[in-house]
Amino acid sequence: MSVTVKSREEILAHLRQVLVDLFELKPEQVVPEANLYTDLDIDSIDAVDLFLTLKEITGRKIQPQTFKDVRTVGDVIDAIQALAPHPAG
Amino acid sequence: MSGGGRKLNRAWRIFATGFVFVLFGVGALVLSLTMFPILRLSTWHADTARRRIQRGMQLTFRAYMEVMRVLGILTYRVDGAERLREPGRLVVANHPTLLDVVLLVSQMPEVDCIVKQGLWRNPFLRWPVSWAGYLPNSEGEQLIEECAATLKHGHSLLVFPEGTRSVPGKPLRMQRGAAHIALTADSEILPVTITCDPPTLFKGNPWYRVPSRRFHLQVVVGAPIAARDFLQDNEVQARSARRLTQWLLAHFDAGRSQRPEHVETPASMLAPVNVPRAAV
Repeated sequence: MSVTVKSREEILAHLRQVLVDLFELKPEQVVPEANLYTDLDIDSIDAVDLFLTLKEITGRKIQPQTFKDVRTVGDVIDAIQALAPHPAG
Repeated sequence: MSGGGRKLNRAWRIFATGFVFVLFGVGALVLSLTMFPILRLSTWHADTARRRIQRGMQLTFRAYMEVMRVLGILTYRVDGAERLREPGRLVVANHPTLLDVVLLVSQMPEVDCIVKQGLWRNPFLRWPVSWAGYLPNSEGEQLIEECAATLKHGHSLLVFPEGTRSVPGKPLRMQRGAAHIALTADSEILPVTITCDPPTLFKGNPWYRVPSRRFHLQVVVGAPIAARDFLQDNEVQARSARRLTQWLLAHFDAGRSQRPEHVETPASMLAPVNVPRAAV
């Protein structure tokens, strides 16, 4: 997939699909406020799988420390947005 | 038993429990300076030494269980013990008491255990745990890889997926690491259900709060199941691990609810020792 700048809604829709496929979550559970670890029952092993999948999708290498502070679905969206190149450069 | 007799019996069990706690600490210290170094030096081969040390662990823990039984602290019974002696399986147990590891290892001539990483900084215990081939509880992926590797070597491995002791009357919660280990290693799982009646030595229960009477530890070793039975085509392991963990949870919940005779009410399970005698 090519790297393009997407809106938060597009990223959320994509992320929702990934989380549903990987972890058998219900789509309505995946909202920006949901905490990955407490609300969505994702553990550290799942998190590795998730970030590998996101790496494939974004085509960008995700630094481990980028995801160290990630707690919620919204934080993941922020991290993905930060990866996308700025329109100007 | 009369009221006075019961009081005396209880005082005895408090004393005996304190004694076996001290015995454990002193025994661990003495054995790490004697038996374990001797077993390590008994052969050039690290793997032979590992087997001898694991056998030494079994016999030591067997003796310890017998001391507690003879002192009148507990009784215990293991159904399906022969299954525990077969190598190469992931032994998955629930974790109601402080004695679960001691009891299970006392039944297994050869088994790898996961122990606290901090023990590798303990001047006495660091050598026995590494000679025994025990695994430090490192984080996530790395631990799963190491556990899967030891299973592929044909060793058995003991794990408690709850990660900590459970609390009586509270629902079980399990992490999915055990399922990931079994799926990664493509091994068989031996589910082991432990019950303790009346509940004691559970999480948050200090040793001197001995139960109303001598407690009974019951171990039921279930039939082995293959991790691959939980795999579906083109599925990520995260999903299979969820299904396998759900199965284990249901298995342990069913086993826990089939309590042996003398079922205690949840209230008396958690009652402090100083409740009126008549209420217990």
